[in-house]
Amino acid sequence: MVTAPRLPELQESLDKALRDAQGSVRRRGRAPQFVRTAAPPRTERMAVDQDWSSVYPTAAAFKAASVPLPIRMGYPVKRGVPPPKEGNLELIKIPNFLHLTPPAIKKHCAALKDFCTEWPSALDSDEKCEQHFPIEIETVDYVSSGTSIRNPKARVVTLRIKLSNLNLDDHAKKKLIKLVGERYCRETDVLTITTDRCPLRRQNYDYGMHLLTVLYHESWKTEKWESEKTEEDMEEYIWENSRSQKNALDTLLRIKASENVRNVTKEELLASEVVKNYRNSVTALKNEGETESNMSQYKESVKKLLNIQA
Amino acid sequence: MAAAARALRVLPCALHVPSATRQLHTTPACLKTRAARVRAGKGDKMVTYEQAHPPHYIGHRKGWLSLHTGNLCGEAGAAQRALEDAFVRRFLYGTFPGLLADEVVLKRRGNLLVVCALLGRALPPHKLYFLQGYAETLLGHLYKCPVRLELQTVPARVPYKYL
Repeated sequence: MVTAPRLPELQESLDKALRDAQGSVRRRGRAPQFVRTAAPPRTERMAVDQDWSSVYPTAAAFKAASVPLPIRMGYPVKRGVPPPKEGNLELIKIPNFLHLTPPAIKKHCAALKDFCTEWPSALDSDEKCEQHFPIEIETVDYVSSGTSIRNPKARVVTLRIKLSNLNLDDHAKKKLIKLVGERYCRETDVLTITTDRCPLRRQNYDYGMHLLTVLYHESWKTEKWESEKTEEDMEEYIWENSRSQKNALDTLLRIKASENVRNVTKEELLASEVVKNYRNSVTALKNEGETESNMSQYKESVKKLLNIQA
Repeated sequence: MAAAARALRVLPCALHVPSATRQLHTTPACLKTRAARVRAGKGDKMVTYEQAHPPHYIGHRKGWLSLHTGNLCGEAGAAQRALEDAFVRRFLYGTFPGLLADEVVLKRRGNLLVVCALLGRALPPHKLYFLQGYAETLLGHLYKCPVRLELQTVPARVPYKYL
């Protein structure tokens, strides 16, 4: 926008115009017309191998006089062409990436390299990462345009940990799973705690860690009322002291009684091969559900138990 | 006599009850079919690309004059940005009187407000630089955010067609 040194002919015509204007002061109602000339656009003086990152070093609006490309944009008039780039508002409206050409990005990376540190060489596999850092914390940052950086969604904190990394015995693990309910995923053995009840992210993180600590310590304690655990509360099926065991033993004792075999005790029956087979197949059916192999195994064990051929 | 008076009272008659009037609710005239449309004339009226296309072409043949995240799903601040936009446009219309060749384009990049304006060449460059600095400083202090003015000059308003 700086006026360049004017060409001699132009300077002459301008001087003449000024002299005419000064001379015609008597002519009222005709203001002197001063034609302002502008420098030719920068594109005419650009070399083909120039450094483009110095023309567009940062994100900037499209400037028709700085971009040496014959771009047209807009809906054409009837039997016409799209409007040219000079004074084209559509080209200014859209975001452009003229500042992010590959050579420019290379320069950015080279400048950022000094601020980067190497990944620690001891953590070269996922298992090692999990072994040293079992707890995963997930937080989300939100970017928007405007004068305020606050976003209420940014306070949510998610904590993830595998229960195999915690020091829990059988009772503690079962109690912990009962305490957390839906937050535990059986397939992946991952406990997920999501906290958002505090206004700040730091507070939610502290609350999440506090919850984990409390759960761990509470699951190791055994309360007095836990001895009242009934069969409905059990997480998995246990054959000992169940109705299935009682029925099987009853049936076998009656078979033995009808065959007049004496002195067959419960322990002998329980230790026998057929009863063990029956126990395994019933436990498998109840815990894993009904599959082809489970059902056929159950069928075989019942046939052996009751001594039925075919 | 008392019985007759009681009977008269029970008969229906036209009484003026203030709450039982009929109301008509009207809105101010919106003239939606005439908004932002330049009416066809004799063929001597010059219109720019922006003026020639009515609002239903936004998104199809026209872009948006103001870009910010306030109108995205789940984002806040749309109303504040709209108010800021309206003020900035009026402010620039007054700061560069008679010089604006086309609408002002506003872009927001995080906190930064980028104002892109197309001006005519009636003023000498040193005056344009002064007005640019004045507008940037004043808007920056008013909105407490960095404001950048990107000015371009064109010799005259760019015609698209003549209506």
